[in-house]
This record gives sequence, structure tokens and C-alpha cells, in this order.
Amino acid sequence: MTAKQRTVRVLIAVLAASMLVATACTPGGGPTTSGAPSASATAAAEQPTPGGRIIYGSFSDIQRLNPATSNDATSSTVSGKIYDALIRVDPKNAEVKPNLGSWTVSTDGLTFSWVIDAKANWSDGKPITGNDFLARVKMQARSKVTPNKSTFNDIEGYQDYSTGKATSISGIVVDKTDAKKFTVKFTRIFCPALITVFGSAPMPEHVFGKYTDDADINKVVDDAPENNAPPVASGPFKFKEWRKGDQVILTRNDTYFKGAPLIEEYVQKVVADSTVAAAQMKTGELTMTLAQPVDVADLSKVDTVKLYKWADNGYVYIGWRTNNPNVAFLGDKRIRQGLMYGINTDEVVKAVLFGEGVKQLAHHPTVSWAAGTGLNPYGYDKTKAEDLFKQAGYAKGADGYYAKDGKPLAITIVTNQGNKTRETFLQVAVEQYKQVGVKITPKLEAFESLVPKLTGGSPEVEAVIIGWQLSADPDPFTIWHSSNVASPTKAGNNFVGYSNPNVDKLIETGRNGPDCSQGARQKVYQEMNKILNDDAPYMFGFAQNRILATASNIRGIEPGSFSPNADWNIEKWWIKK
Amino acid sequence: MRTYIIRRLIYAIPTLLGISIIVFLITRLSPGDPVRLYTFGALNITEEDIQGLREHYGLNKPLYEQYVSWLLQVVQGDFGKSLQYNRPALPLLLERLPATLQLAVAALVLQLAVGVPLGVIAALKRGTWLDNVIRVFGVIGHAVPTFWLGLLMIIVFSVTFGLMPSQGVLTVGHDVWDIPDRIKHIVMPAFVLALAGIANYSRYLRTETLDVINQDYVRTAHAKGLSERTVVYVHALRNALIPMVTALGGLLAALVSGALVVEQIFTWPGVGQFTYAAARSKDYPVIMAGVMVASTLLVLSYLLRDIMYAVVDPRIKVK
Repeated sequence: MTAKQRTVRVLIAVLAASMLVATACTPGGGPTTSGAPSASATAAAEQPTPGGRIIYGSFSDIQRLNPATSNDATSSTVSGKIYDALIRVDPKNAEVKPNLGSWTVSTDGLTFSWVIDAKANWSDGKPITGNDFLARVKMQARSKVTPNKSTFNDIEGYQDYSTGKATSISGIVVDKTDAKKFTVKFTRIFCPALITVFGSAPMPEHVFGKYTDDADINKVVDDAPENNAPPVASGPFKFKEWRKGDQVILTRNDTYFKGAPLIEEYVQKVVADSTVAAAQMKTGELTMTLAQPVDVADLSKVDTVKLYKWADNGYVYIGWRTNNPNVAFLGDKRIRQGLMYGINTDEVVKAVLFGEGVKQLAHHPTVSWAAGTGLNPYGYDKTKAEDLFKQAGYAKGADGYYAKDGKPLAITIVTNQGNKTRETFLQVAVEQYKQVGVKITPKLEAFESLVPKLTGGSPEVEAVIIGWQLSADPDPFTIWHSSNVASPTKAGNNFVGYSNPNVDKLIETGRNGPDCSQGARQKVYQEMNKILNDDAPYMFGFAQNRILATASNIRGIEPGSFSPNADWNIEKWWIKK
Repeated sequence: MRTYIIRRLIYAIPTLLGISIIVFLITRLSPGDPVRLYTFGALNITEEDIQGLREHYGLNKPLYEQYVSWLLQVVQGDFGKSLQYNRPALPLLLERLPATLQLAVAALVLQLAVGVPLGVIAALKRGTWLDNVIRVFGVIGHAVPTFWLGLLMIIVFSVTFGLMPSQGVLTVGHDVWDIPDRIKHIVMPAFVLALAGIANYSRYLRTETLDVINQDYVRTAHAKGLSERTVVYVHALRNALIPMVTALGGLLAALVSGALVVEQIFTWPGVGQFTYAAARSKDYPVIMAGVMVASTLLVLSYLLRDIMYAVVDPRIKVK
């Protein structure tokens, strides 16, 4: 088959599918970071020149440009360029570094004292102060539409303000003589605070302040027109125009505190899907987009396109329901371990990702400082898999499938329709598990109807193929703690119903300290990963490479696993003429 | 005539009510929960937050109560707020209407400009190879699925030959009033949207024209010694076109609904693309507004068709 025929075939298949079903997104993700000078120049001989435009292809339109009220990743890639955060995350190692502000922590670990950079101003010239961070927290506290109301729950006095019992947040104090200084006090030690709380960008008090009223809980920011057209910026780019359903245009912020960006204009354009985006990279209609492994071979042949690849801070897995009576055998560790041995992940990575990924063995990907060491590699071993099933009391029947008391080892695995990577993974799983005597029934379901079944602990789900996009902070509380087991009465991200007191304790220590140092937390998470690796509540699948396709004349891109779109240093990017 | 129109408009009310009930039930009863979907991946969300959102959107009330309060709002012109955009659903939708209308009008012009001459030529050259080609084209044009044709055209004209832009309405960075650039962008989606119509019209016109040229008055015109051209254009075509006018009435709604698939393929920022995205995200208020706007257009265009019938053909009396 020629490359062109393949393009045709894939384009038709993918586009046809995408018209019928949702292209899925993965949950989670840390704050978009931007800023900070890059460590090294890419090519010594070339001189950066200002000007030019980036046209970035995304697969959906933005929804709201106020990060206090929105939750979707597409909007965040844009609002993250307009509103800078107090901190930034190092894209290589997830270390938290000062950005708009720098901080010190009190000895009891509860109070953070912040100083905002003296040069940091809003694009209209007004200084960025502690009042702007306070404004952000207040608007999010009272918003009726935000999904992130609980982000600040551990700040002293926050919940009382949120429910209207108090007219101020006692835990946030802005210095009366120097508004660039402020302190934030927590009610308990919260190790992920630096990223989850202070990764929330300050919002301009002089713009949004009028929409909230400390004394009136019903005055909210939700309907402010500025949510859709930010008038001022603290980040490298300013909002210019949003052509609904088509594109959003940003221009450079000449007063950016780290220096004006070299790129003149950033345009985020809606395209149908990744296959069309790849085609548009070739024609030059787009100059940047995230590409899929299937398009790599084709795109790497094009001179005007350059590809960047890096290991993603996330993974795609098969989650086994350990608490579903329909598949009670999945509660048995030996069965789950057998399922870990019974699939050839290297083959999967080849078939599904065209080699663009690595096998995953526990919760944290190897790029994370929290990743486990000395884990069981679960090399592909059919005999070992079948031995484990036999130990669990199962025997192979005449039909080639294992069974016990007349009940076969049969599992329905569901995944979201339209995601080619996951659909192919499912097909491979069906074939490979058949060889070790496990009967898999594949099932495809639209993302929108699958999600509520997962977070609602529906008994319909026996096993699921889905993915996690992890935050830069490694806290796995919502995914593995037993208090987050999904059930019909309480939504949770612990879809598989995993409950292990030892893991719970480790997660709590990693989250609430008292020692929040990276060294202490690393030890805790290594221990946790070891247990998860042995318990195998997931077939942990693989971590996919992230692939960024750009026009080959864009310079200065230095991708890392903790900057999902590689845009952390966008102000340093430039275009060679 | 006036009472007829008023009566028809009154009849439209139960139709629209019925549609609204059915669509309301389908969206609410199909699996999926918009709040769970929308909060998926919000790392620190609590069950309390989810209940708060459900309450805010009125999704915790019984279905009939939700419907009644929706209806009472709609009567006042308020379709509720989009869950995704947190803005009123109807204005959001109307913002997208111009793009859809541009596409629909361009497609309509193509259908008439290409479909009508093809049909007439086929009729006048009946039995020749030209007639056969046009008739085969008519069948194929009607049978080709739009999504397939759209993709094929993108591959051929955009990817392989680089002649046409494949997506959107305007080249990035061009002025919004750059008309030639806009025309370049509209050609492919408009053609894809128009193809079935072109095929239909050519077949329709062929039949009508054949019918007319065998009429006595055409024979009379020939007998009078009029030129072939005058006979065809003044006598035959004019009469053959009469039923066509009425077909235009139902066309608007057909184009608007047909644009859903085409807009999706070409990322045309119109009503269809928007409603489709809303359906995928279970954005109830937008889905309802989209369906109600499309239904109203359909009802109105049928009314328009019936009125036009009476206008062009005096033998039909409006009762």
C-alpha cells in the first residue's frame, strides 16, 4: 500500500468515526505553565528575530477564557498564555520555580508568604498584587458554574466565604503597606498546594472585582463579558479576537515582565481532527499541532515540518473492576497478575503506537520523580499467566477458556468509541488474552455516556480502557484513595474500586505530610508504586509519547514532559525568515 | 389568504410542542450525565460540588418540572444557558447562523445554476450520449454520501494538489472582508452540500421539460415559426420552472439540516457544527435551541411553499 493510499484510508476511517462519536479527552492535567528564560540557545549561529505568527491547530473551540470558571483543556491552552501563574513548573523534572511570585513557607508548613515580582504589571500598566490573587480565589469561591470550587478548600476561612458565612477569607492577608506582599494560611498541611493552589493564576481585581460582592453570595463572576474577552493580560500574550467556532487570536504582550515575546501573533484554529491537522501541516495552513503516532511516518517525510517527541506524563491502561460482583474473580490478585503477564505490551506499543511509547508498570510514569524503582517488569509469559489462573482454582475447558465451577474467565472490556489508539489496544487485548484462555468481549461506548458510568461506579463496567493525563504534582489521591471509590451515590475517579489501607496511608502521607519535601514524598510514592505494581489493579498499559509537529522554521522550542503543549517558554520562540 | 396563514401558524404550535417534548425526552433519557461529563478530570471536586452544579442547572428536579420550566422560559425567548459556554443558548446559536446561511445560499445558487441547465439540456438532447451522461450523473450525485465526497475532495484538491483550502472560512491573518479568499473557502463545502440538489434538479427539470415540450402551446410556438431558442426559453422553460419555485420553499430547511455533516468535515463554524458539538457534550440547552430553531425553519418553509404554490399557480386555491 502506498503512503497516499494509506492516507486516504486512514483519513476516511478517522474522519468518519469522528463524525459519529466523541474524540475522547483524558482527565486531569496540571496548570499550564509559561515563562522563564530558557537554559540554552538551540542553534548558536542563528540570531532570533521578532515577528511572525504561530497557527496552532486544536480539535475543539475554546469555551471560556476565565480559568476560574472553566475546566476544558482547549480553553486552558489559551487562557494560560494570557494569565501567568505565581509559580511555574520545570518542564523537565516538575520542580516548582518562582514565576510571577516567589515564596517562603513557615516552619509549621501552614503559611506561605509571597512577594510578587516588582516588574510584574498587567498589560494596562497596573501592578499585579496580592489583591489579584485574592480576587481569583474569591471569584472561584462564589462561582456557581466552576468545577474547581474545592481547589482552595484547605485555605483558612475559604469554605465560610464560599458559603456566605463570612465576608472575607481570613487565611489570605495582603500587606497594607506593600500590596505586592501577601500571606496564605492553610488549615492543614497540603503538599500539592504549590502547584494546585498557587498554580491558579491571579486575576485582575480592577477588572473582575466589581462582579463579586463580599456581602452578597449571589453576585458572581459567571456572566462577566470579560470572561470571553480578557481586557488585560499578565502572560506573554494579550487577547485580540475570538471568531466563534473558527479561531482565537492573541497578540504579544509588549509589557510582559519577562520581556516581550518575539512571536507577533498566536492563532489557535479549530480543525476537524488530528488527521486533518496533519494534512494542514503539510500544506502550511497550520504551523503547529499535536500529532498522533499514526501520522508520524508521513509527516517526517515533509521538509517543512519538524517533529518533537517526548515521554508523556500520563498513560493508557486497562482498569479491572475489583469490586464488581459480576466479575468477582478480578478481586483476586493472582488473576490480575496473570492478566499482566498474559499480554505482550511491546507488541501492543508496536501495533497501537507504532513504537511511540513505553510499557507502564505502576501509577507514575518513569519521567516523574515519584516513579517506582525495582518494579516487577511482568515480561510477556503465557505459562506464568496460566499458572496463576490455575493457582486461583481455574481449569482450562474444552473450549480453550479457563473456568471455575462452570463460570468462565470472561470479561467485557469497554472503551470510548472514536479513540483509535484505545480501540486498537482493545482488539489486541482480545486476541492476546484468548491465547491464555481468557475470553474478552470488546465493547465500544460513546465517551459522554461512558464517563458517568465510570465515575458513578456502574455495575455495567467490568473493565475499561482509558487514560490518565497526570498533573505535575504526583498526588494520586483522587485516583487510588479508597475514599474516592466510584459509587452510584458518590462520584469518584477510583473507577476500579481499589481499596488498600496501606496505599491509603501512603497517599495521605504524601498529601498531608508533615514532611512535604520532594525526598520524603518520593519515598512514599515509590513504596506506593511498588504495592500497585504487585497488586495490579490495572494492566498498566503504556505511556504514549507526545508528538508536536511544527513548521521547521520555528525556533526555541524545548519540550518537556511537564509542559503538555511545550509552550512553557513561548516568549523565547521565534520564526526564522 | 391572511386567515389561512394565521390558521397555519396556529397549527404549527402543537407540531413544535410535540417536537420539543420528544427531543427533550430523548436528550434527557439517553445515557450520560452532563454534570459528570463536564466535571470529569476536575481533580479536587467533591460530591457536594457536583450536587451544587446539578441544582444550579435545575437537573435535580423531576423531568416534567424541568420541561415545564424550560417551556415557560422559551415562551419568553430564553432557551437557558449553555453548560459549556455559560452564555444564553439562543444568541450563541444565532451567532453561527450567518456562516450557515452563507453556505446554504452558495449551495442553492450552485444547485440552480448547474442543476437547471443540465436538466434542460438533457431533455432537449433526449436519447443522446449527453443525456445519458447527465442522467448517470444524476443518479450518482444523488447516491454519493456527503461525508465521503467531502473527504475525497479534501484529499484531492487540498492535500494532493494544494489548490483549495480544506478547512474554515478564511485564511488565517486575512482581512475578514477578503471576499476572494472567502469564495475560495466556500467552493468545496458548497459543492458538496449542493451535489444531491444538483442531481435532483437536473432529473426533475428533465422530466418537466420533456412534459412541456410535448404540449400544444409549444407545438404552436414552433408552428408560428419562432426560433428554437425563443421556444425553449420563453415558452417551454418558463412553464417547466413553475413547479420548481414551489420546491424552493422546502429547500432552506433541507440545506440548513444538510449542512450539519458538511460543516463538520470542513470545520465550517455554522449552526450544524455547533449543534453537533453540543450533542456530543450533552449541552442540553444548546441542543434544544438548535432543534427548535431548525424545526421552526422547517415549519415556516413548508408554509412558504404552500403560499408560493398558490401564488404561481392560480388554479390552486388556498383554503
